[in-house]
Amino acid sequence: MRKFIIFSLQFIVYSLLLVACSGGPKNPMKTEQLPVIYPDYIGVTIPADIAPLNFNFADEQIDGMDVVIKGSKGGELHAQGNYADFDIDDWHALTEQNQGGELTVTVCVEKDGQWEQYQNFTIFVSKDRLDDWGLTYRRIKPGYEVGGDIGIYQRDIHTFDEYAILTETVVPGRCFNCHTANRTNPNRITLQMRGEGGGTLIQKDGQQKWVETKTDITQAAGSYSYWHPDGDYVAMAVNSVHQSFYTGTGQRIEVYHRFSDVEVLDTRTNELILSPLLFTDDLEIFPAFSADGKSIYYSSSKPCRVPAEYEKVKCSLCRIAFDAKKGQFGETVDTLLNGPATDQSYVLARPSYDGRWLMYCVSSRGNFPVSQDDADLWLMDLKTGESRELSEVNSPKSDSFHNWSGNSRWFVFASKREDGMYTKLYFASIDDQGKVSKPFLLPQRNPRKYYLEMMDAYNCPDFTKTKVELDAHETYRQVFDNIREQVKIKE
Amino acid sequence: MKKGIGKYYNLGLSMLVGIGVFLFWYVGYPHALSYQEQYQLFLWTGDYFLERLNLPGGLADWLSEFIVQFYYVEWQGALLLTLLFVALQRLILWLLTHGGITQGTVPMCLSLVPVALILWLMGDINVLLSLPAAIVLALALACIRLSKRFSWIDVLILPVAYWLIGPAVWIYIVVRVLQLGWKHLWSAGWLVAVQLMAYAWLLPQWPLQQVMTGLNYYRIPLQYPQWSGYNKDMYELIRMDYLVRNECWDEIEKRAGEYQVKTAFWSNCVNLALAEKRLLADRMFDFYQSGEDALIMPRTRDLTSMLPSAEAFWRLGMVNSAQRYMFDTQESILNARKSGRCTKRIAECMIVNGHYQTAAKQLNLLKKSLFYRGWAVEAEALMKDEAKVNAHPVYGKLRQLRYKENFLYSYDEMDKMFGLLFLNNQENKMALDYFMAQMLLKGNLQGFQQYMGTVQRYGGYRQMPFGYQDVMRCIQMQGRVPDSPYAKYVQRMTRREAER
Repeated sequence: MRKFIIFSLQFIVYSLLLVACSGGPKNPMKTEQLPVIYPDYIGVTIPADIAPLNFNFADEQIDGMDVVIKGSKGGELHAQGNYADFDIDDWHALTEQNQGGELTVTVCVEKDGQWEQYQNFTIFVSKDRLDDWGLTYRRIKPGYEVGGDIGIYQRDIHTFDEYAILTETVVPGRCFNCHTANRTNPNRITLQMRGEGGGTLIQKDGQQKWVETKTDITQAAGSYSYWHPDGDYVAMAVNSVHQSFYTGTGQRIEVYHRFSDVEVLDTRTNELILSPLLFTDDLEIFPAFSADGKSIYYSSSKPCRVPAEYEKVKCSLCRIAFDAKKGQFGETVDTLLNGPATDQSYVLARPSYDGRWLMYCVSSRGNFPVSQDDADLWLMDLKTGESRELSEVNSPKSDSFHNWSGNSRWFVFASKREDGMYTKLYFASIDDQGKVSKPFLLPQRNPRKYYLEMMDAYNCPDFTKTKVELDAHETYRQVFDNIREQVKIKE
Repeated sequence: MKKGIGKYYNLGLSMLVGIGVFLFWYVGYPHALSYQEQYQLFLWTGDYFLERLNLPGGLADWLSEFIVQFYYVEWQGALLLTLLFVALQRLILWLLTHGGITQGTVPMCLSLVPVALILWLMGDINVLLSLPAAIVLALALACIRLSKRFSWIDVLILPVAYWLIGPAVWIYIVVRVLQLGWKHLWSAGWLVAVQLMAYAWLLPQWPLQQVMTGLNYYRIPLQYPQWSGYNKDMYELIRMDYLVRNECWDEIEKRAGEYQVKTAFWSNCVNLALAEKRLLADRMFDFYQSGEDALIMPRTRDLTSMLPSAEAFWRLGMVNSAQRYMFDTQESILNARKSGRCTKRIAECMIVNGHYQTAAKQLNLLKKSLFYRGWAVEAEALMKDEAKVNAHPVYGKLRQLRYKENFLYSYDEMDKMFGLLFLNNQENKMALDYFMAQMLLKGNLQGFQQYMGTVQRYGGYRQMPFGYQDVMRCIQMQGRVPDSPYAKYVQRMTRREAER
């Protein structure tokens, strides 16, 4: 009997070893269907060296999963388990080897003891690299008027590692946002803290200073910032943001501004540069310097009695010249896209850093696209002035908060496509002809578990060239000691 | 013989402590248990445990949250608290008698002092159980005998103990110094160094003040416990919310007649209970009314104020507003914990609105808890069948009651909001009662008179409610009605306006 037990155990162990060494399921039943996986990585284009595109099988009732990836330029990767979990180094090696090529993915799934092999799908590896270190973003509960446990984080996009930049724990009870680096370079950062004891952080080469950007004339502190390419000026909107709430089952929140103007802060002198063209009764919002720094794109809408007339908020996309040497605005405003005339709202213009494209949001109304269900991304060719909808990436829900990678070949955006509430981050590539790839969700080690358990929404994503260094203890000291440099208006 | 008798005395004393503590919580303050329970959601997962252990004091936090989850069933919560307090008393007694701190016989009643002090301290509603749990753990550590020869081992023990227990480990140092003499004071310096090193290298997102004094002993960051004890009015409000949570409408009405706390929160609870019993029209002004906020409070950034209003919204059929108030309440929990009560209601709102994907997220969380799991599993199954949701006695009804038109909520026009809700479904008697009540609170007597016909037609009253009769008399007599509850309310509001 004892011999029998030992023999049986040996048989089981050897059988397990045999299966483990076999490298995959034997004689699976083949089906013509594509596998339904989460996230949907079928046919996406990725940069080499990105974090592994781990995925789960959509149907949770499976016994196991076996995935083999073969590169068109060589290399192979194998993963077996409850979900496809690839080794980071092996994944990097495979994608590096297949840059400009494609990966063929074979998925087999075991259900009730029977293996089933789905139709292969392809992941394209772009020839364009994404060499930025990672992403920065704010994580916030998708609530209403209370921010809760807010935090600004950074994520190494080549691995799964996330690091806090600034969280609520170090500045309790403060709402902060609008963290902005200079064209992905974190040697210049600005960040706004709203409400009582608020202020604006200007960090240059690791040195923090907090400034009070509210003056008697400008009414509010600056927000929605954007750095000038030279790293000396920051364009900001000064506004008063509010929310109202719907009674229906669709869109939950309408965000509106009671007033809004655009200004530029000279961070060397703490002077605000104003223009009568940008301090009007109209609402000027979301400024962004052009790639050459010679102009500012922004949106502008006519004043309405909000919230009652929230449907009348239609933003035009405008441009005004800016002379960095003199620190002066131009004297005329160009209207690139007319909101009221087209019955649309054009907001959140973001020029690519190579000066080729201008990406912006289009929605039926409003000046805060992340809260608009119908907000979509559009692209303007700055050579021709022609615009088109980015139907390759848009969804029926809000797509917004886009930003460019350092080399302007990739962009990240926030989308509510999955559930209409919890914003998630997607990447897509764009080539020199403006051809845009199918977007892919920010990879996670175990995506289904991660995103199901994630109770935060992502917003304001941006690429960062290197890891952001912010001394949060110093931030605490300056915020709570109320150390602020008061800005003044430039004569 | 004397030793034997002393042992029985000791045990008897501990039993008395246990009985006293149990009765204190279970009979005296079950609502305090419910209050604490609703501001956390203990998850039975490894991730949750590791998340707690990620910060100093994590083991104490985890242990306290483990206990607090049982407050959901008051007698279980009271029993676990009893065990904790008895442990505290026994550890103190042991240290006093065996730890070498005192010589000779120490009065046993001395061991009751910390018990009484902590019980009193817990009267501050923001004191978290992490603090007593950490104290017990620190005392338990101090009970491990350590000879002078091996006192150096504290070099290793202190960093680990600080990480698991938090700054309560200072109690351990005090006991050790008393046991081993003043030469052991080096350990105090070492602990300060450990805390500073943790601050500099391991806790970049925490202020020094909290690293030194505790990250999660107190719910409000950068603040400390008050020796406020059990403030009568505060605990009456907590009891009212507890009764609302448990739908004890009769009990609310009864208590409201005996003691009133003149706040909008109290008015919200009482009015909701009256409305549930269809007595709002009759008796509303028999009780204290805080003003226009007596039915629904405006948004307030704290973790309690909006709860009765959220409950009223839910029962009225204002599902989005219920979800919003619950969401903002949950996000106002300053130690960033989830709330089982809020999460459950948020999930319910999402189910009523057909937002099943986001509801599934909330249910996934609740499924990992002990006391909300059963409900979450049922709700998850329910969501898979739209017909069952429509037929559900609560969710199906709310789908009929909620607004069919999409417009923007306006707190300043709450009377119109209630009116539209009633027009939306004329079976919604509660909305009609709230509509009329809000007009009375605002002093809109013209509107009140205008809609009296609607009340007669749709209110379902056999006769005009006493409260409305009183108002009509006030209108006819231009307020000169002696002993009229509504006239008194109007006079009070007029005085308040004049004082402003």
